[in-house]
Amino acid sequence: MNRTVKIVLAANLIVFAILAFVYPHLMVGPGKLIPGHGKLEEDCFACHAPLSGADSPRCIVCHKPEEIGRLTTVGLPIDKPLTSTPFHQKLTRQDCVACHSDHAGVKRFRPTGHFNHGLLEKATRDECQSCHKSPKDTLHQQIRGNCSQCHNQEKWTPATFDHDKHFELDRDHNARCVTCHLHNDYSRYTCYGCHEHTPDNIRRKHIKEGIRSYENCVECHRNADEHDIRGEYGKREGKRDRKKHND
Amino acid sequence: MTTSPTAGSLWRQHILPFTLLLGLLAAATLAGDFVLHRLNLVWVGRYLGIPGTLLIIGSLVYSLRKRKYISSGNPKTLLTLHEVGTWLGSLMVLLHAGVHFNAILPWLATVAMGINVISGMVGKLLLGRSRQHVLGQREHFQLRGLSRPEVEQAVFWDAVTLDAMTKWRKVHIPIFVVFAALASGHIVSIFLFWGWR
Repeated sequence: MNRTVKIVLAANLIVFAILAFVYPHLMVGPGKLIPGHGKLEEDCFACHAPLSGADSPRCIVCHKPEEIGRLTTVGLPIDKPLTSTPFHQKLTRQDCVACHSDHAGVKRFRPTGHFNHGLLEKATRDECQSCHKSPKDTLHQQIRGNCSQCHNQEKWTPATFDHDKHFELDRDHNARCVTCHLHNDYSRYTCYGCHEHTPDNIRRKHIKEGIRSYENCVECHRNADEHDIRGEYGKREGKRDRKKHND
Repeated sequence: MTTSPTAGSLWRQHILPFTLLLGLLAAATLAGDFVLHRLNLVWVGRYLGIPGTLLIIGSLVYSLRKRKYISSGNPKTLLTLHEVGTWLGSLMVLLHAGVHFNAILPWLATVAMGINVISGMVGKLLLGRSRQHVLGQREHFQLRGLSRPEVEQAVFWDAVTLDAMTKWRKVHIPIFVVFAALASGHIVSIFLFWGWR
């Protein structure tokens, strides 16, 4: 490299270094900040601690935990809060970046709207209805609380409810929910939702076996195996035992 | 372009393979980016900058050997490692950059790296062979009895192309210095502002 090239290179790099200090949000910032933080764009250390990233104590200077969800950072009441109940006061520790990100380029790598319920105090964690509304379907409208019976706190769907305890959804019953649970009503079911189980067909088979009460199918049938019969009739005929012997 | 049909042009014999290898880098970048997005593994691309940078730094052993800062190591092996390491490292850095336009500094570093890769590939794939090609063409036309001005006219475009490539080669080291400085700025800013957890 000759001397001129070296001087030109050095001059260019010095210019870039100056630009990085004068316009850090353009030169090194990973995208725009959220609109509410627009004024902080040129002051990286308003939020970042040197060598350790965005720093919760610096967030708390403006966002006081006892006021989050109730008052704005200038002390005015919040008109339309995002949650019905403020919950930041019930967090076990103040770790803002565990849930929040700011720069547009960083948000891309973080799942939005994902809240770690493990950060809540134990008592608050079990009171789902204080933050969440029940789904509108008839099954959930009948239930108050005790959500953990069917759901975990990682994600709402799929539910942890074990359908196999009531009926096995095996290869012969790999159907959509609405095939058996009509009108969004999961407290009821019908087995007549498919061609295989027509009312006439079912009636004929059961009458032939001398069974007259056959409307509650899962009382005796919990899967597609017609020899695996439970309830009173199963015990009487030893159908379950026979299956076990066949196995 | 004026060349004999048997000898083939500089473009077809040398520049086309070079373009294909460069195109492969672009295609691998686009395919890798697509796969990462498809598999919901964008975060992997985010960290590919680290092994990519380490590969590029590791491949500089050849440059130290060539300039006699170190004396051990087979130069030919080190050159191969330099070529493969920088190509793979560049691929990782390009995947790391993705198509996300945020800060200016890292993008300038990426552009400088791209120019550096191209100039390096010119040196590897084109320069030596192209020089031989133009010399061979000159000899061929002289043997056919063409006068010196006629020979120069016949190899004019090949000679111009060769001259341009020679200049590209000269860009390799200065642009590497620019790339290293800009990339260092990006890395320092990451250490300064990023929370490693």
